[in-house]
Amino acid sequence: MRKLLPLALILAIIFIGAYLITPKLTPQTDVRPLGKFYLENSYFGDYSAKSPEVVTSILWDYRGVDTLFETSVFFLAIIGSLTLFRLNKKQEKEAKQKTEEFSGGLTLVIKSVTKIIVAMILAVSASIALHGHLTPGGGFQGGSALAVAPLLIIAAYSKYALEEHGLDKTRALILRSIGLLGIALVALVPLLSGGYIMQNQPIFPAEIGGQLVSGSLIYYNFFEFLAVGAGFTAVFLLLAIPESVFRKFLRREAHE
Amino acid sequence: MIEIHLLMLLITVIIGLIFSYLAIIEKDLLKAIGFSAVQAIAYAIAFYILMAPDIVLAYVAIAVGIYTALLVFVVSKTTRYEVV
Repeated sequence: MRKLLPLALILAIIFIGAYLITPKLTPQTDVRPLGKFYLENSYFGDYSAKSPEVVTSILWDYRGVDTLFETSVFFLAIIGSLTLFRLNKKQEKEAKQKTEEFSGGLTLVIKSVTKIIVAMILAVSASIALHGHLTPGGGFQGGSALAVAPLLIIAAYSKYALEEHGLDKTRALILRSIGLLGIALVALVPLLSGGYIMQNQPIFPAEIGGQLVSGSLIYYNFFEFLAVGAGFTAVFLLLAIPESVFRKFLRREAHE
Repeated sequence: MIEIHLLMLLITVIIGLIFSYLAIIEKDLLKAIGFSAVQAIAYAIAFYILMAPDIVLAYVAIAVGIYTALLVFVVSKTTRYEVV
C-alpha cells in the first residue's frame, strides 16, 4: 500500500494543476493558416499532391525530405543492432541448427490460432500500406504491423519455423535493401525530367487505370512498407537466437 | 459543457499514468512489461480520441507488439527479477 502513496500524490498534483490552469486557457476554435493550406491543397488546390489523405501527402510530398532522413535514421538504428549481433558465416549456419533444449514451440491451440491471425495481420498491414494515400496509415504504419506477423510466428512456433520456410536473416536484409533502393530511386526519378528531388506532381501519374494512386505516394508507401517490415524481422530473427548458442560462440572465441 | 469524449480521454490517460507508474515500481520485469503494454493500449485509445489515426496505427503495432516483444526477448536473455 505504501507503494501507491507517490501515485496518489502525482494524481493529486495533476488534478489540482489542471483545475487551476484550465480556466485560463482559451480554446482554439479555427484551423491555423498553415493547416488550412494543407487541407485545401492536398487534393484540390494549385499545389496538389493528388491525395485526399493530408497526413501522407505532408509526409511524402510537402515535407518529403524530412521523412527521407527519418527513414535513414531508422535504418542506422537497424544497422546498429545488426552489428551488435553480428556472426560469421560458420556461426550463422550453426545458429540455424535447432538446439537440444528446443521443445517444438507452444501448444497446438496457440499454433492454430496464430496461423489465422498471421494471415489476418498480413492482409491488414498490406491494406494499411497500400491504401496509405487514401485512408489513415502509410508505409511505416503498415510495415510495423507487418513485422508483428513474424514476431507471432517466432513466439508460437520458433525462429527455425521461419528459417525453414525461407525467411532467414539474409533474405530479410535483401528485402529491406530493395525497399531502401526503391525509396532512393523514386526520390531521384524526377531529376530525369527536369524536376527537383522528391517532386510528386506532375511527374508521376496521379491515376493508373482509373484508380487514384496519388503519384509517387503509393511507391514510397510500398517501399517503406517492405523496408520497415523486413528490417524489424531481421532484428527479431537475430534476437530469437537462444542465449546458450551465443554463449557457446563467445566461449569458443575466448579459446582461440 | 463537459463533453463525453474529453471524459473518455481523461480516463484513458489516467489509466495510462497509473500503469506506467506500476511498470516503474514493479520488480518482476515480465509483469512490468505487461503493465507497460496496458499503458500503451490506454494511450492508443487516447490518440484515437484525439483524432490521430495515423499515430494510432503506428503506436499499436510498435508499443503493444514490437516493443513488448523486444523487452520479453531481452528479459529472456538476462534475468527476470530486478535486484537493487
